[in-house]
Amino acid sequence: MTDKFSSLDTLVRGFADPVHDAQACFRVLLDALARPGTVGSIDAAFDDDVLRRWPAAAFGAMLTLVDFSTPIWLQQPDEALAQAIRFHTDAPLAQTPEAAAFAYVSDAAALPSPDAFALGTPEAPQGSTTLIVRVDALEGGRPLTLSGPGIQSSVRVGPIGIADAFWHARAALAALAPCGIDCYLVCGRSVTGIPRTTRVELN
Amino acid sequence: MKESSSDIALERRRWLAQLARAPRAALESALDAVCAGGPLPAFEWLRAPQTGLAMVRGRIGGTGDPFNAGEATVTRAVLRLKSDDDAGAVGIAYQLGRDKRRAELAALADAMLQTTSWSDAVREQLLVPLVRVLDEERRERAANTASSRVDFYTMVRGE
Repeated sequence: MTDKFSSLDTLVRGFADPVHDAQACFRVLLDALARPGTVGSIDAAFDDDVLRRWPAAAFGAMLTLVDFSTPIWLQQPDEALAQAIRFHTDAPLAQTPEAAAFAYVSDAAALPSPDAFALGTPEAPQGSTTLIVRVDALEGGRPLTLSGPGIQSSVRVGPIGIADAFWHARAALAALAPCGIDCYLVCGRSVTGIPRTTRVELN
Repeated sequence: MKESSSDIALERRRWLAQLARAPRAALESALDAVCAGGPLPAFEWLRAPQTGLAMVRGRIGGTGDPFNAGEATVTRAVLRLKSDDDAGAVGIAYQLGRDKRRAELAALADAMLQTTSWSDAVREQLLVPLVRVLDEERRERAANTASSRVDFYTMVRGE
């Protein structure tokens, strides 16, 4: 009977304490980009059906960062996630990656080339797309060496599931500074940031 | 189901408008009566009551352009019933003012109206008396306004 009244029956719940959870998440996300390669943890409480569907770090990051002024692009159609984003954040869904301020990439193996996303303009580099990429693990994959601002000398990470071609294409964007894309790699509750200023070497 | 979904949507629209105007005391006493002294149905928040501002827009005459009349304080809430047989009914409330308990009760009433087990009782105990009160208030206001009515007319000046 109830399905006749609204389509919200299956809507998942967002933050239990919207203000404080979003502030705590924001701090973690900020630190992740300020200290590239370090692993932060998003500890906000979510219902089980959220944790079953998406990494908590990705869901928390979307609830925290996305709002009505930032269109988000979903790599794979996901009605439940689209509904949650519309309800909890009022954000519109972008039809193409270059129209999006945020992109949720649930299948890292099929990650589009970085120049498929908005890179910003020299006058407004903040207009670029921020990627939230779900990876199978943050350690144990292809070893990468990160260096650049926010890193003392260099730091090694090993995300599983991102093709080398993506890192090569991303390196080619360095010439366009200050334009470029910022990435969050998420796995479960863990999140690591790779901002546009970080040099990624494959070894 | 006899009714088509558009009929139900229309009906819900009507009762949402009525609940938006319902005073807190009326909601509280009616829901208590429906539950016959027992606890109100259990629910979980999808959006806990929150107060914010909404721009109220107006339009003068049938052809005037819309303009911003000013901001109004609005409290909204969304909840979902937890009880076994009616699990999933989602109740919504938007109300003027900053009374969070009132928004909670209105959302709860909206959710209960969508269930088979509560619907008739809520209709009878809450909506019917509420509509009577709201109609009465509207009539009274209209009568008060009508008493100060001024008819403007221009006399035709003779040639």
